[in-house]
Amino acid sequence: MTATATQPTQPTPASALTIPPRPRRLATRAAGLVVSLVIVLAFWDIDIEWDKVAQLPTDLVHYGALMFSDPDWSMLGEAALQTWRSVSMAWIGAILGVVLSTLLGIPAAQGVGPVWVRLPLRWIFAVIRAMPEVLIAIIILTVTGLTPFTGALALAIGGIGTHAKWTYETIEAVPPGTAEAVRASGGSLTEVIRWGLWPVAAPELMSLALYRFEINVRTSAILGLIGVGGIGAMLTNYTQFRQWDTVGVLIIVVIVVTMIIDAISGAIRRRIMEGAKVRGVERIH
Amino acid sequence: MDNTAAAQRPEAGDHASPASGPWPITLDDVTVRYPNGVVAMKNVSLEIAAGEMVAVVGLSGSGKSTMIRTINGLVKPSSGTVTVGPHDITRLKGAALRHARGDIGMIFQSFNLADRTSVYRNAMVGRFSHTPTWRTLLGIHTAQDRDIVMRALDSVGMLEKVWGRAGALSGGQKQRVAIARALAQQPAVMLADEPVASLDPPTAHSVMADLADINADRGLTVLVNLHLMDLARQYTTRMIGLRAGEVVYDGPAGSATDADFEQIYGRPVQSRDRLGEQ
Repeated sequence: MTATATQPTQPTPASALTIPPRPRRLATRAAGLVVSLVIVLAFWDIDIEWDKVAQLPTDLVHYGALMFSDPDWSMLGEAALQTWRSVSMAWIGAILGVVLSTLLGIPAAQGVGPVWVRLPLRWIFAVIRAMPEVLIAIIILTVTGLTPFTGALALAIGGIGTHAKWTYETIEAVPPGTAEAVRASGGSLTEVIRWGLWPVAAPELMSLALYRFEINVRTSAILGLIGVGGIGAMLTNYTQFRQWDTVGVLIIVVIVVTMIIDAISGAIRRRIMEGAKVRGVERIH
Repeated sequence: MDNTAAAQRPEAGDHASPASGPWPITLDDVTVRYPNGVVAMKNVSLEIAAGEMVAVVGLSGSGKSTMIRTINGLVKPSSGTVTVGPHDITRLKGAALRHARGDIGMIFQSFNLADRTSVYRNAMVGRFSHTPTWRTLLGIHTAQDRDIVMRALDSVGMLEKVWGRAGALSGGQKQRVAIARALAQQPAVMLADEPVASLDPPTAHSVMADLADINADRGLTVLVNLHLMDLARQYTTRMIGLRAGEVVYDGPAGSATDADFEQIYGRPVQSRDRLGEQ
């Protein structure tokens, strides 16, 4: 059999083609214009003192030298204790927040809760997301006072807005197959959630819960600024008294502890998402 | 037929006895129209005798999956009735429908296992309709349920993988676990929706042989969706051809000719319609 060389196809001249009209991008351009205007207006409104901006690097070097040239290491023990309080606040806030978010987030997922449950829940999550943790803490402290528990509660409630949203989005992203298999085997809605959705979504949700804890560690330091205790409160006090050598130690402790927690939490999250190494299979006799 | 028989069945938790199968399947003038207007089944009427092994053959979009899902009650027909043994599937709701599904094993093309959990947990899903909800939620199962699951896994050669993660298995092994999950239900009827479409040819033959054994040894009624003509000829006794939601062929599978398949496919038979004999 003789192979026949294929003749290259002659390109069709552009004049003979029916080219669809290029879509008009008016909306994209209008959006770009609006965003640009907002940026200009924002800069205009905050009345930036450009001479102070120019001074900023010099000031940073000056205060950096005050804080870190000769830190007061005698405060390290107290700083570590207050950091531990902040981390505890973050941990309790994360656990309470994640438990509540999971319980409320699952029925807010499409295909799980009916629309009259889903919509109000999502509206509540949106309202909570609109409130920063500091604002929530200020509202709560009228009842619970200036205690670390106030901070933990604020972190828990503040976390619900975001974490419950992550929860229902994760549940909705679960491929329907496993849940369908449970349903086809005669499983009820509760069983579908427990054995069809949860096993698939759990690693992602666990990972997000650890991420919530990481966020809470940072936020707990900010909450300390309003006086609920922990490293943030200590930082505020020593900054007000301009004891820069102590402030330097506190900043070092906050950065080191936060980085260690991030590293450990990140490693655990990777382990959860990538799964364990396949182990030998136990033999049944 | 009404749902009286189903209503007389014991409640979940006491529903531990196997279904008194095999059962016949009857579709009477069934039409399924999806909300988007697509008519997936048009006035389909069928009688499948208890203990038959039937292939439903057709191209993608012919209505095969809709038919299987309608028999299981996962899709509600727009009109007509579906009965499986004593269950009028079209009239059942809630707990009664769940109990009926417990008597109908189902196998899916993409296995539908929870990859991150063990083979044991996946197979135990087959016992849900026989177990009180509190037990399934807490994962506490009776010795009898464990025994049924272990035997089901053993019957498909997957017992030695019982504590391994489902995600670590090959496609053929996953499908065997899915078959074990369905067998753990102790069903009267087994439905399989394109069970070999994701498998290589030798594994496809092996899974089809498993289904044929289930039909021969346990006497279950088996209805299997296929689009490969040689698998239908080799492993089933009767073939139903679907095209655009209508039955265009109903006859013996072994003697179905290429012309019969061309009638079902609506085009000449192509090499991709054959898997290869074993």
